[in-house]
Amino acid sequence: MTSVTETATPASRQILAKRTPTWMRALPFLVAIASPVILDKISWNPFGGWKLLVGFLVLVGIGWFAWSNAEHDPDDPRLSLKLWHRADQRALAAVTCFVLMAIPFILSTDWEPPMDFPWNSWFRIVNYIILFALGAGAFNLLVGYTGQLSMAHAAFLMIGTMVGAQVGLIWEQSFWLCLPVAALAGAVLGVFFGIPALRLRGLYLMLATIGVHFIILLVWKEYIVHQFGFSGMRFTTPNLPSWLHWIPGINPEDGEFLINSQFRWFWVNLGITTVGLLFIVNVVRSREGRAFAAVRDRDISATLLGINVPRSKLVSFALSSALVSVSGCMLSYYNRARSEDSFHLELVLDYGIIIVVGGFMGIQGAIFGSIFFFALPMYFEWMREELPIISDIDFFSRYAGEIDLAIRGILVVVVLVWRPDGLAGLWQAMKKRALLRMQAPRRGVVQ
Amino acid sequence: MDILASTFFDWGVNLQLLVSGLALGAIYAVVALGFVLVEKSTAVLNLAVGEFLMLGSYFGVAFFMERKTNIFIGTLVITLVMALFGLAIHYGIMRPMVGQGFFAIVLATIGIATVIRAVVQMWFGPLEKGNLTALPTGTIEVAGTSIRWVDIIILLVVLGSVGAFLVFYARTRTGLHMRAVASNIEAAAGVGIDPDRAYAITWAMAIGIAGLGGVMLGHFTPSVNPALAAIGLRAFPAAAIGGFTSVGGSIIGGLIVGVIEQLAGGHFGTKWREPVAFGILILVLIFKPTGLFGQKDLERV
Repeated sequence: MTSVTETATPASRQILAKRTPTWMRALPFLVAIASPVILDKISWNPFGGWKLLVGFLVLVGIGWFAWSNAEHDPDDPRLSLKLWHRADQRALAAVTCFVLMAIPFILSTDWEPPMDFPWNSWFRIVNYIILFALGAGAFNLLVGYTGQLSMAHAAFLMIGTMVGAQVGLIWEQSFWLCLPVAALAGAVLGVFFGIPALRLRGLYLMLATIGVHFIILLVWKEYIVHQFGFSGMRFTTPNLPSWLHWIPGINPEDGEFLINSQFRWFWVNLGITTVGLLFIVNVVRSREGRAFAAVRDRDISATLLGINVPRSKLVSFALSSALVSVSGCMLSYYNRARSEDSFHLELVLDYGIIIVVGGFMGIQGAIFGSIFFFALPMYFEWMREELPIISDIDFFSRYAGEIDLAIRGILVVVVLVWRPDGLAGLWQAMKKRALLRMQAPRRGVVQ
Repeated sequence: MDILASTFFDWGVNLQLLVSGLALGAIYAVVALGFVLVEKSTAVLNLAVGEFLMLGSYFGVAFFMERKTNIFIGTLVITLVMALFGLAIHYGIMRPMVGQGFFAIVLATIGIATVIRAVVQMWFGPLEKGNLTALPTGTIEVAGTSIRWVDIIILLVVLGSVGAFLVFYARTRTGLHMRAVASNIEAAAGVGIDPDRAYAITWAMAIGIAGLGGVMLGHFTPSVNPALAAIGLRAFPAAAIGGFTSVGGSIIGGLIVGVIEQLAGGHFGTKWREPVAFGILILVLIFKPTGLFGQKDLERV
């Protein structure tokens, strides 16, 4: 009896042979990025605005990327490690990109929605969602992927802010220099404060990191009082460096381009958050990331597998705290002002709510959780003020903040009891059901 | 940090700080007991203990300040009501969440804490109340310094009730069941103990003791306000220094941390209280990860 598997070429080999070269796959992106520059140089712009043109070209490029050259072989185990390997995933990524790029243009129109829906404040909320998604993703790398229950999150936000203030305000360097310095400081201090994780785990590690939080809080208070007095920090508006002024759509005034509007902040935040989250996704897919998962599941078994557990823990602490410091620096510059009481321990719990309600595993969880955390109170506030029956009830307007708190607490408990894998799990289940329904045969059709 | 040399060796001041530290430590011990009891038997870290203490203080406001209830009856009623809350939390939230990760359950307790804080502020209004005065308010002169009666009474009440609880835990059949379930839930279920019932009793007792501690806390602090809930986090070092798996250790840990905090706060300024307490916590955890009295678990791969 001949075996089929011996004669057939492994499906994975065939895919490797047919794979499109990287430069060819990058082509649509390069075209999309380069074309507005070229068109700008020859001063021909038929679309009446560079924004439309860039959006259109990027959409075409990403759509082409989404639908072409998807590697169809569901049996290849390596595919599960790839990003966006199925056609539906690519389509969804393309749609997400398009929506993200459309959001600022939609939000900066003068359109007034019915019933006074708070249009302009949504821009701020969107920016906060993006910035918190970066911090929550980095927190999740440490807590969700590596299983190191750290409460020193706000401590690293403070470290990022202190680095940003020292470099940007006292040494008067550029905002763009603050970010790598904050990342470096965060990584070094993350390794230092990760040392307790080598001996402790679970609850005890959580307690030790709460201790780290209070120690850094003391340093923070001393720093802010000595350097800035009791009025607190006032951050300057970042300035785009002059060697980037060639980008179309950037019109410098008096030789500088200040990041001073929500619209401009959106692009800065989106760029840095995208890079950070993609970095986390890629770390998780690497050998290092699989070692993190092994440490989380059973660190003693991980040792037996040949994983250097202390190294994995420290690397996870370093990466996570570097990104958290960057997000802290960005948040402070975006926020403009920081005072002694800006970073409570409750902030860590807020981030915890974000990652657990969003979904413990995965970057999607961080994004869904941030949306839940920021958009929902906004929505409730609007309902309370504008909906006909609810706005008449005096009780709701008098205890606005408390009702928001209560609703958030109840929703947290409900989500955790009803769906343990969070909103990301809900989303995955919905997607799976939709895909199954699309593939399922119609009822009544005889096969 | 400016050390006030004149007060540093002033024994009168030190005695005053010591007694108020012991009273604070007694309250920490109650909170730590709430942590340890629930964590030991149900493997849930209840971060809402501080909020339950605050709720107990506010119930104290409702009973003793607004209705002038008798202190004994009022305290009993508050403890029983809080025990009912504990039952509701067990049956409503914790039992459906069995089997989920540690952090998810911790965050569920944070959700409970958020709801309590919001409801308390809605019910009692945002303004802070004065402290409770149902216990005797005078001072007593000991060795040239005045010591508040309240501090002494709090210390005695807490030690008495915690001692009664420890006797219950060690001597009665229900206490035996609770200890058995805490030690090994499957073996306990195998010999016919109902873990569900033991869990429910544990939650009821932990929250009930927190209610009692809340009444005491309302007498200890200068004012009853929602920020009292922060005591839940400040009692962490107490629970961990004593060892998270030792009920008796948590009480000794509470007293140690209370005294250290009051001494550090009195001599160096109040901003040093948390850093000193948590710094000691980190040192204890690094050199003895299971705390002073905790038992070391064998690790099975």
